[in-house]
Amino acid sequence: MALIYELTPAIVFLPLASFALALFFGRWMPKKGAVAGILATAGALGLSVVTLGWLLLSGEVHDQTWYTLVDAEMGVDLAFGILIDQLSAAMLVIVSLIAFLVHVFSLGYMNDEGEPGLPRYYAGLGLFTASMLAFVMADNLFMAFVFFELVGLCSYLLIGHWFTEDAPPSAAKKAFLVTRFGDYFFLVGVVGVLVTFGTAGFAGSEGFPALAESALAGETSVNTFGLSTEGWFSVLGLLVLGGVLGKSAQFPFHTWLPDAMEGPTPVSALIHAATMVAAGVYLVARMYGFYALLPTVLGIIAFVGGFTALFAATMAVVKNEIKQVLAYSTISQYGYMMLALGAGGYVAAFFHLTTHAIFKALLFLGAGSVIIAMHHEEDMWEMGGLKSEMRTTYLTFLAGSLALAGIFPFSGFWSKDEVLFETLVHALGGSPLLFGAYAMGITAVFLTGFYTIRMVMLTFHGDPRSETAEDPHSVGWNVKFPLSVLGVLAVVAGALNPVPIEMLTGAEVDFLHDYLYATPEALLTGAEHYSSLSSYGSGAIAGGEIGTMLVNAGLSFGLAVAGAGLAFGLYRGGSPARHTERLGRVQTLLMHNYYQDEYQVWLAEGFTVRLAAAADTFDQGVIDGTVNAVSSVSRSAGARIRQIQSGVVTNYAALVVLSLLALLVVFAILGGWF
Amino acid sequence: MLIEALVVSCLLGAAIVFFTPDRYAPKLAFGLSVPPLVLSLYAYVAFDGSGNALLGGEIAYETFAEWLQLGPYAVNYHVGLDGISLPLVVLSTVLTTLSILSAWTPIDDRQSEFYGLVLLLEGSLIGVFAALDFLLWFVFWEAVLIPMYLLIGVWGGPRRKYAAIKFFVYTNIASLVMFVGFFALIFGLGDAVSSTGMPAIAEALRAGQLGYLGTPTVGVPPDTLAIAAFLAMFVGFAVKVPVVPFHTWLPDAHVEAPTPASVLLAGVLLKMGTYALLRFNFTMLPEQAATLAVPIAAIAVISIIYGALLALAQQDLKRVVAYSSVSSMGYVILGLVAYTVYGVGGATFQMVAHGLISGLLFMTVGVFYNATHTRMIGDMSGLASKMPATATVFVAGAFGYMGLPLMAGFMAELFVFIGAFESTVLPAAPVFTAIAMFGIVIVAGYLLWAMQRSLFGPFELETDYELGRAPVHDIAPIVTLVVLIVALGVAPDLIFEMIRDATLDVVEFGFGGGS
Repeated sequence: MALIYELTPAIVFLPLASFALALFFGRWMPKKGAVAGILATAGALGLSVVTLGWLLLSGEVHDQTWYTLVDAEMGVDLAFGILIDQLSAAMLVIVSLIAFLVHVFSLGYMNDEGEPGLPRYYAGLGLFTASMLAFVMADNLFMAFVFFELVGLCSYLLIGHWFTEDAPPSAAKKAFLVTRFGDYFFLVGVVGVLVTFGTAGFAGSEGFPALAESALAGETSVNTFGLSTEGWFSVLGLLVLGGVLGKSAQFPFHTWLPDAMEGPTPVSALIHAATMVAAGVYLVARMYGFYALLPTVLGIIAFVGGFTALFAATMAVVKNEIKQVLAYSTISQYGYMMLALGAGGYVAAFFHLTTHAIFKALLFLGAGSVIIAMHHEEDMWEMGGLKSEMRTTYLTFLAGSLALAGIFPFSGFWSKDEVLFETLVHALGGSPLLFGAYAMGITAVFLTGFYTIRMVMLTFHGDPRSETAEDPHSVGWNVKFPLSVLGVLAVVAGALNPVPIEMLTGAEVDFLHDYLYATPEALLTGAEHYSSLSSYGSGAIAGGEIGTMLVNAGLSFGLAVAGAGLAFGLYRGGSPARHTERLGRVQTLLMHNYYQDEYQVWLAEGFTVRLAAAADTFDQGVIDGTVNAVSSVSRSAGARIRQIQSGVVTNYAALVVLSLLALLVVFAILGGWF
Repeated sequence: MLIEALVVSCLLGAAIVFFTPDRYAPKLAFGLSVPPLVLSLYAYVAFDGSGNALLGGEIAYETFAEWLQLGPYAVNYHVGLDGISLPLVVLSTVLTTLSILSAWTPIDDRQSEFYGLVLLLEGSLIGVFAALDFLLWFVFWEAVLIPMYLLIGVWGGPRRKYAAIKFFVYTNIASLVMFVGFFALIFGLGDAVSSTGMPAIAEALRAGQLGYLGTPTVGVPPDTLAIAAFLAMFVGFAVKVPVVPFHTWLPDAHVEAPTPASVLLAGVLLKMGTYALLRFNFTMLPEQAATLAVPIAAIAVISIIYGALLALAQQDLKRVVAYSSVSSMGYVILGLVAYTVYGVGGATFQMVAHGLISGLLFMTVGVFYNATHTRMIGDMSGLASKMPATATVFVAGAFGYMGLPLMAGFMAELFVFIGAFESTVLPAAPVFTAIAMFGIVIVAGYLLWAMQRSLFGPFELETDYELGRAPVHDIAPIVTLVVLIVALGVAPDLIFEMIRDATLDVVEFGFGGGS
């Protein structure tokens, strides 16, 4: 085993140590724990990069149990193990990079602004990073669930950071509850997988995807609880998907995410780009060998993804606060990743996960920079004209926005294009249902272009619309440095996998594709294995693959430019009008998020709390009432009988005589004296 | 001799504390609770038993002496520990010592009597878990009631008399029902047993030696007898656990009881019920348990969901925790009825885990109460800004209760879920399990909501007290509990290994199921 794999656990333990240090000693530490966090995440990043480098150079993967919690002689073991393959190695780099930059940025956003509770904040960030990294390297579903939940805990703690106000604790509660609701299904799924397969391992021929494959092929049999094999596996897949939809904020569990904007902005960057929300999609990719066996579940994933992409994009169009726009764009973009996974585009999904992590972290940190400058004003209508005052922020934010909007040649264009291309090809290849998902995805491209450029125009262009916007607060190196790193990456990350270029020129430039296909066959977690499992066929229009690619790329680029151009046209000039108000009742509907929050709040407060109150009344009245009634019967009977004991001697004497007489009569009758 | 030393050190400690002036009693009682704690930890470290104490396993620290002859039955002094009882003994000693610490602030009158009773309670509890003869066990079982009755009735809140009498009468009547049921079994076994020893009775019952109660002409046939006895014992123990619908004494007792008594009541006394269910019903009468699996599982699921809903409706923090115990105990019942190693073992693990976690929450609510003199959620908000350490522990405890991974409660629930899901004894096991698991959503709902209202938001308090940081002797026990809960969550095999070893024989009863 290579030395680097002996050190892999340190990728988790470094940020875990910074959590413990900041929690207990943060008050006395330099920058209240920030320095420890930066060093720890830098160390984790370094180790992750070395791991990735080693994997690239040697091709050696790693899958080993690291710690056994329950060593059962009978039944399933519960253990933590480390699985480093192409997928997890790349994800480790993404997560630790974003976590590192977020820590640096926090110096500017939290320390320099004199926020309270900094040790608690850095402890939370450390634990958040550690949990996510452990989740990424998990080699089995049980371990994945454990750290998936811890990620949820950390989001609760960080979203509710400013707990002395009213809104953040409420948002934190909502985030945890909604995702918990999803995790309930996930946990049922984990237990189901453990019981069905006797293992929860992801990789190798002993892993549950491999066992499922052989069970479906009829080579082995497992307990399917009375359902058909595929039916039961589909149930399991959908149960686990519950957790995915919750964490990745997919419809109908997306409602927690916009509220989560109550947390500090660097936390939003971490949650959206690399940790919590990414965890859901990553989980599907991690166990893709299982999902690839289940065409029905894949279809559902694709549809939910496509629908969420469109649904969230419509809501982003009308939002007035910069972080709200970004929140809905996150939901929408994760919809694309789900769409790709469901449509059989495993590589495309991970590609989009990567580029999105970069440009979304960039956009949130950029928004954070704007918020610092605006003295914590988030309404875009109070901004305007910031581009001349904040050069670095503007340029990097613009790069991120163009990537989000899917404008050529920024990174988002390449990955989104590939997502849609894969969907279209598989739709043409005999899965016509995918056309529906594709149509939703491609429509959302137009809206994405629109809301992204609208956001840029309102924030940075035109005339300043408030006094703070005229004289914004300046930001330091700790803000500009992360923005610059991410800004460069947002421009160039598309070079990871520019498939259209390869198709047109024949140059071997689909690096990510080759990388994910390089996973050794023995692990059964590589893209090559997944493509052999896939039941999707491929089709083409316009004269073959290149034609299809050009049609799709043209369509997606054209729509993105159209949306962006429309926004540019509408919102340019010194003082743009509030154009979305012309949407009338549609605007109201969108501002209220299709009343999704209302019905979920009703489910929690209107229904469950009332049910609980009714249960309480029933409990007090009927159940406890019966108990008290039984005791009062015996007490009142006692009270009646007690009246015989009146304390008057003559009464007692009379009772004694009467009793004696009665006894005599009884004996007389029984004894036959008469 | 270890068990004798344990019990005697508790009783001796109690006697000494009773005759100590009030002002020395708290510290002395704490000191005197250390020897039993150390002894029990030694028992854990040096444990060399294996198997189940009732089913022919190697019993650790066994003592056997003839006591008296009751008609044809020899009643013996027989004690010993196995992998099921040892963790519960350690739980008792740990929680007693910690609850004595937690009593220093709130208990300010008749201290010598209070602490004496706590130590007396500890001795009786250890006896319950160590006794292997039915009559001996029953003596300890009943002896537990007296100190707890007094702790609630003397040091309790405004309605303490009502609560204490309700607790005493309800559980005592239940004991009577159980006692009749068990003796019917002994009589039904006839010549097959010659003592009231629990191992002998268990082996005889599992070997199918139950005969007619009375004579074959005018008697109760074995099948009817077994079912009737099972039901009588089940009801008797169910009150103690408690399961719905026998649970209403619990919130009353908890609300009125002083914090240390609540800790022991929820932490250990409830486990007497589930321990007895495991030892008697599920070890001795597996066939009847399997026959009644569906109704028992239904009761378990109702306890979980209904108990959680009741907790959601409460405004008093202590009632929230009290009702959530009903919910948590439902998991124990579900695990027991599954008859798998993960199920029964998980149920036992849950007894320990819930003991620690509910103890933690009751203590933390007590620390808040010491400062604010109110427990009503509506009376306070934003406490976290005034009492950060206590609030942190409360958040940790609440997440422990919600089953956060790497804490003991999650492992316990996961074991139970795995065990219940794979059960072959329980029909439609996955369905029952999936419904029961929804409890983890409701529990998150009510605890997060309660925290949001009481700990977070702007600071407000309806009562006129200055809030300062809690004293060290308030914080130390709750921090200790958090550490223990995390330790068991990260390394469950600290106790789960011996628990599994002791439950293996219980579930191996030709059901063909259960890995």
